[in-house]
Amino acid sequence: MKTQTYTLNLGPQHPSTHGVLRVVLELDGETCVGSKTHVGYLHRGIEKILEDRTYPQVIPYTDRLDYLAGINNNLAYVQTIEKLMNIEIPERAEYIRVMLSELMRIASHMVGIGIYIMDLGAISAVFYPFIEREKILDMMSHLSGSRMTFNYLRIGGIAHDLHPDFKPALDQFITEFPRFIEDYHRLIDENEIFIARTKKTGAITAEKAMSYGLTGPNLRASGVNHDIRKTNPYSIYDRFDFEVPVGENGDCYDRYVVRMKEVEESFKIIQQAYKELPNGPVMAKVPKLIKPPVGDVYHQAENPKGVLGCYVVSDGTPKPSRVHFRRPSFNNISIFDEIFIGHKIADVVAILASFDFVLGEVDA
Amino acid sequence: MYGKGLLKGLSVTGRNVFRKRLTEKYPEEKPQLAARWRGGFQLDVAGCIACGLCERACPNYAITLTTEKNEENKKQLTTYEINQSYCLFCGLCVEACPKNCLRFTQEFETATYHKEEVKLDLFKNQNLSAPASIYAQPEKATEAARKEDK
Repeated sequence: MKTQTYTLNLGPQHPSTHGVLRVVLELDGETCVGSKTHVGYLHRGIEKILEDRTYPQVIPYTDRLDYLAGINNNLAYVQTIEKLMNIEIPERAEYIRVMLSELMRIASHMVGIGIYIMDLGAISAVFYPFIEREKILDMMSHLSGSRMTFNYLRIGGIAHDLHPDFKPALDQFITEFPRFIEDYHRLIDENEIFIARTKKTGAITAEKAMSYGLTGPNLRASGVNHDIRKTNPYSIYDRFDFEVPVGENGDCYDRYVVRMKEVEESFKIIQQAYKELPNGPVMAKVPKLIKPPVGDVYHQAENPKGVLGCYVVSDGTPKPSRVHFRRPSFNNISIFDEIFIGHKIADVVAILASFDFVLGEVDA
Repeated sequence: MYGKGLLKGLSVTGRNVFRKRLTEKYPEEKPQLAARWRGGFQLDVAGCIACGLCERACPNYAITLTTEKNEENKKQLTTYEINQSYCLFCGLCVEACPKNCLRFTQEFETATYHKEEVKLDLFKNQNLSAPASIYAQPEKATEAARKEDK
């Protein structure tokens, strides 16, 4: 009997593509035999816009790259400029920055894990992480006045000192969070349906992951121990005691396990930073008009989704000549076309969800 | 035993049935917003010195203002408009204001029925009755100290 393959258009308005990713699948029955990923539906031309903005005016735009972890994007950009201008940051500002970026890592992973398992059909699994995320967003709104687009870090420190409402909220979060972790492991870890859907699905070998330039939890799930916070410590990450969780098989299940362990490690860092939080100013002395010297600089930071690189070229004027971001989600999804092949269509959705990509970052 | 994991997970759901309700009855009960909330805008026109720093701080050119010189040869505001459809709500304008007369308010229901209403004419409608946010405002203690210095 002669059979024919057919084309299925997944997205750009499909709920499981996490935004506006479009995947054109070539299917033989239910098995994927070919795939083409299309990006660009959320392209806003941020890098071009930034050529006409002054250095401090760039910061609000970085919030809109990976909008689930705005602080981490802020951090990568402001540290790039600080590197270019040789600005020393006050201790208190460094501690607050680390604390907030780890809080945002938890918030981002909460969405990553929750939506992932919801895409597999388990609705209740999304609510528990979102409760924790809501607490973090509330804390952030006490500090910056906004829930997602913070614009909180500045070149030379942070915009405002901690607000009195922040500390009780963080104390409450620190006491309640371990219980959530325990509950969530009970809810998911041994769930037979989840295991059947994710184990041995979308397995990536370490060599392949590295050759495609994957970073973050997706790379570490394949067994590669690579974390910029350890290999090339920025800010004050070398002062904290934490581990880098690594997976074994690189399948969808490992990507869940690595994210859950990473959340626990981030929680450890938050507790340490909160305990050692020094007093003092939060802004270094920076000139009112920021005019970095002529030159270019590249800086990397470990974001929840992977390594965010920021490249800035300065021509000595108050506006950058070029700002480029190496966005982790964009590099991570480059492997899709290869690993989809041979999987059933339901597994394609599982792989898409397990990667936890954000389209704001893919298209910039 | 197959299904043990499912039952274990179900026990978590069971326990949560009896926990405190976390959701808010939104339209009936208004949420408690942060003191630094960045929502709507208000402008104290009497305090404004028409320096134009807010206009220059805006990354998206959402603010347009015009000025004229009065009899005492001092700059005076004649129009002031924030086009909220271009606004990023980043707060750089409020931070730039040297007299702290451009402030955020704690309003958050900013949806409108008509496109023209999105533009805020803060010269005609200063919106001073809305609850002000403390975003980038000097703390009360420092404000009092500054008054004593004067």
